[in-house]
Amino acid sequence: MLRLKGTIVTTLCLLGVNCFAVETEIPDVSGEEVVSGLSNPCGIAVQPGTGHVFVSDSAASRVVRFDPANPGELDEVVTGFPKDIYGKGPIYDIGPLGLKFLDQNTLAVGGGGLKDGQEIVRFYTVPEWGNSITADDMKASAGPVGPGDESVIGEGNFYALAVSPNAIFVTSNGDDTKGWVHKIDLQDNQPGDLQPFIKTKEATNVDAPVGITFHENYVVVGQMGEITVPEDSLLTFYGPRTGRMLANFETGLFDICDLAYSPSNERLYAVDFAWMDTAQGGLFRLDQSSEDGQQTVNSVKVAGLDKPTSLAFAPDGTLYVTIIGTAENDEKPGKVLKFSGDL
Amino acid sequence: MVYRKIFLTAMLALSLFGVPHAIDADDGFEHQIPLGLPKMRVPKDNPLTGAKVELGKQLYFDPRLSRDNTVSCASCHDPEKGWSNGERFATGIRGQVGGRSSPTIINSGYQYFQFWDGRAKHVEGQALGPIQNPIEMDLTLEELVEKLNKIEGYRKAFEEVFGTPVTSDGIAKAIGAFERTVLSGNAPYDQFKQGKEDALSDAARRGMDLFFGKAHCSACHGPPHFTDGGFHNIGVGIENDEPDVGRFAESGLGGDRGSFKTPTLREIEKTAPYMHDGSLATLEDVVEYYDRGGTPNPQLAEDIFPLNLTDQEKADLVTFMKEGLSSPDYPAIKAPELPE
Ligand code: HEC
Ligand code: HEC
Repeated sequence: MLRLKGTIVTTLCLLGVNCFAVETEIPDVSGEEVVSGLSNPCGIAVQPGTGHVFVSDSAASRVVRFDPANPGELDEVVTGFPKDIYGKGPIYDIGPLGLKFLDQNTLAVGGGGLKDGQEIVRFYTVPEWGNSITADDMKASAGPVGPGDESVIGEGNFYALAVSPNAIFVTSNGDDTKGWVHKIDLQDNQPGDLQPFIKTKEATNVDAPVGITFHENYVVVGQMGEITVPEDSLLTFYGPRTGRMLANFETGLFDICDLAYSPSNERLYAVDFAWMDTAQGGLFRLDQSSEDGQQTVNSVKVAGLDKPTSLAFAPDGTLYVTIIGTAENDEKPGKVLKFSGDL
Repeated sequence: MVYRKIFLTAMLALSLFGVPHAIDADDGFEHQIPLGLPKMRVPKDNPLTGAKVELGKQLYFDPRLSRDNTVSCASCHDPEKGWSNGERFATGIRGQVGGRSSPTIINSGYQYFQFWDGRAKHVEGQALGPIQNPIEMDLTLEELVEKLNKIEGYRKAFEEVFGTPVTSDGIAKAIGAFERTVLSGNAPYDQFKQGKEDALSDAARRGMDLFFGKAHCSACHGPPHFTDGGFHNIGVGIENDEPDVGRFAESGLGGDRGSFKTPTLREIEKTAPYMHDGSLATLEDVVEYYDRGGTPNPQLAEDIFPLNLTDQEKADLVTFMKEGLSSPDYPAIKAPELPE
């Protein structure tokens, strides 16, 4: 059955259709590569209304989009983001990071290309298909959070964003004694200031809030943990008004980078970059389980992936995942993968 | 397939921290976890029992685990010296001196990575290393097993605990089990966190605020273990001609060059000198080192930068470490009687 599917895919590819199957580890879910040639893609969001998929093509300093009906055609949306480096070896060039839509025409972009203490979240009115704007053509911005009492070195690397009816929550890297999740209040959909909100390090004793999503009435955070330590990633639930930690779970994953709930049945998915051993990385479903009467998380691998960074569901339940990939002959090994089926 | 809806009701998780608790083993052994430390995960294939811990303690203190019967684990990890050795480097059999300092083994049962470069995993995975190391205890595993099997008391104890004669696997498990009971918690810091306002002096409280704030120490030495269990380059020894590459030797990742495992700071007052190369003699020296921003190099951790601490702040920071992290229940375990 699987074999047959592989054959069909190969045949289609031979016919010139841009598709490569991605092996999955659970039944009834299939994966394929839909976009390639990206440079460290680090954020992904599906535009309400159009269903177009927007991607932070981070090292290329731009945000691009594609129509899932024709993923071969990439359209530049915002270009010219500042660029910085991440890591000490391996080192990744990064620019724009997390993406989220506030409404069909307003895109929020978490920055990663400026130094800690200077970084901002940028807001854009999405241009018509075929037109692009530059990073400075913002309709609004929030931040920076400079050095001060709240953050000794100031905040940066706004990895991922989550949107509630009246706020945006932003994960960041900056003061590792605090591990801030920031909050931007929304008034009539207009963003206010970027405010340090939850000290995740103090709440969990573990570094680096990176993945984030808003669900029901919870801010749900994927705490990455130390990149040099395996299996230390956490899944943590906070109250959106108080910032109080409500529940915290070990996941057994290495480095959670992003989280998303499936729209069809509210299962939770995470991508794990697995920095110290990237062969362990992939797409995981985080199932609720219990041990000794305590609620726990059981992480189920959906697919092993090469340095995945972000994920987003389309309303029809299709899941898009960005991966950084490995540069061999390919200087731009970044890809968007699409998963469908029983997600 | 039916899955349960996930996390629609994020239950209030019971806090694992702050409450002393004990886990009962089959033979009634209670793993006493001091205030401030979390429940310890014990490997399923090495459950703690009283007899096993006792056997591990004997092995730990027994110099017969070395070729010339002069060196035991306790020679380099001495309970009277903070479970370290008080010297810059470790001295093994025939007076041979190694290139790295002996870390404390206090609370090492919580650690995934063992050694400054993390080349062993868990205490059970570490224990046979020093025995075979030619400059530490210098016995092959065959020699060791043969030697201990000749000691009747050990043969009996292994039969009782593992149902086998002495094996290297049993030695590692027993020593590991013992190490899992060498714990330090209930320090003034833990008591303060528990609500005992006067557990810390004013200076220690000021030092604590610096530790978790301006001085940035908790970025890597956060509670409950005062280590993040990870590896960082803070620049120690990097100026040497052939600097110790640390974690890089294991991971091969360029970013790990010159990175060492963050040590715990519990009982830190007792374990001078400090750092993987024992190059800093006092906690005052350590604070001076961090205050100047470590030793710049390409892999220097982002969390290391000049702190601009005043003399008073430096003194308070040292006071917090000495006073706040030293437990009144220090694990002052005495060497047991050894089997004949
Ligand atoms: C000759 C001195 C010496 C002897 C004997 C010795 N050790 Fe060590 N131990 C060291 C040194 C030095 C290190 C650090 C070495 C490194 O990181 O490369 C170490 C590291 C450790 C660690 C890791 C702690 C951490 O935080 O990483 C543990 C656990 C440990 N030893 C337990 C033992 C046990 C158990 C024995 C007896 C079987 C033993 N040692 C015998 C010197 C010694
Ligand atoms: C970037 C992470 C990081 C930060 C921030 C940090 N440390 Fe460390 N610390 C380490 C590492 C890693 C070592 C071991 C380095 C080595 O041996 O080369 C260490 C070693 C130490 C030691 C020696 C422990 C021993 O057993 O030898 C002390 C004491 C210490 N740190 C205190 C502090 C204090 C106080 C601060 C704040 C001023 C601080 N640290 C900030 C990572 C950090």
